[in-house]
Amino acid sequence: MAGRINVVLRPVKSIVVRFCPFESNVESTRKFLECISRKKIQATNRNCEVTADVRHDGSEPLVDVMFADGDRLIMKGANLTTVEMLTALGSRCNTKELKAEQKSKKNP
Amino acid sequence: MHLQRHKLMALTEYLAPRPAVPERCLRPAAGPQEEENGYARLLRRQVEEVFRDSRMIAVCQYNSMPGDDMVLMRHYLRKHNIEVKFFLNEIVRPVLSQSRYKNLLPLFVGRNILLVSPETKAKEMLRVLKGVPQVSLLGACIDDTILSRQGVENFAKLPPLEASQGQTVGALALLPSQTCSLLQHGAAHLTALLDRHIRQLRDGAGEGGTPAGPEPAQSPGAP
Repeated sequence: MAGRINVVLRPVKSIVVRFCPFESNVESTRKFLECISRKKIQATNRNCEVTADVRHDGSEPLVDVMFADGDRLIMKGANLTTVEMLTALGSRCNTKELKAEQKSKKNP
Repeated sequence: MHLQRHKLMALTEYLAPRPAVPERCLRPAAGPQEEENGYARLLRRQVEEVFRDSRMIAVCQYNSMPGDDMVLMRHYLRKHNIEVKFFLNEIVRPVLSQSRYKNLLPLFVGRNILLVSPETKAKEMLRVLKGVPQVSLLGACIDDTILSRQGVENFAKLPPLEASQGQTVGALALLPSQTCSLLQHGAAHLTALLDRHIRQLRDGAGEGGTPAGPEPAQSPGAP
């Protein structure tokens, strides 16, 4: 299921996935990282840096997305599923894409 | 006739026998037990062997990588005698839960690879992994010690065993070497002073002047 969601990363500047692998609530965050690193999604934006920050301090798993227009999306993955995180990111990317397209149509 | 036929057909209609107790009230018979897959057993044995024979086992998260990069990474790691192994979680989890590596269990979620080696070349491994962003080191078990990523980095920064042994020996030998000179310090000082005094007396006698008064003797064991 999570493999079929396609996210367009064009409006995204960088994604930092922070988790502590010895905790038990990191499965969805790790799966999210795997899905984001797939070839198809990475191909939508080569300049988007995906970094994995592996710590051992018992902190909650976190996904920090920085968009090109300065917005920031922080998802705390402890109680979220992979699909929820991907759809949230995907919907925000789509709205930003639409906005950008409309802007470019207005100013040719 | 028609009616008689109908009556006959109705009389001789087949009635399925109903069981005394409806089936849904009975406990369902246990299905045939699944035979243990021989292949799974073989893989489990391989996992046990790997854990037994290697001093360093690193668990990394594997995000999909292009095939060429994978081959290159395997090549560089092989140069340092580090092998890359793929195992399925459902094989590894039961093996680990029954061995003494129970604390590594939470790492085996999602796609992982194991980097195993009979030596402990953590620095070279980290260098190769730095060049491969799709593989992230989660934790390692080096010489039966479970380390986190930070622990592996610290381990890589440690000096080699011979150097640290030399440093320890040097530190331990420093104090006894000082004891010898400390004990001799007082007597040596006294000797030096008496020597100088004799020289002064000799010089004073040579010039013909009055000899200088005797200097007060320094007590031995001066601080």
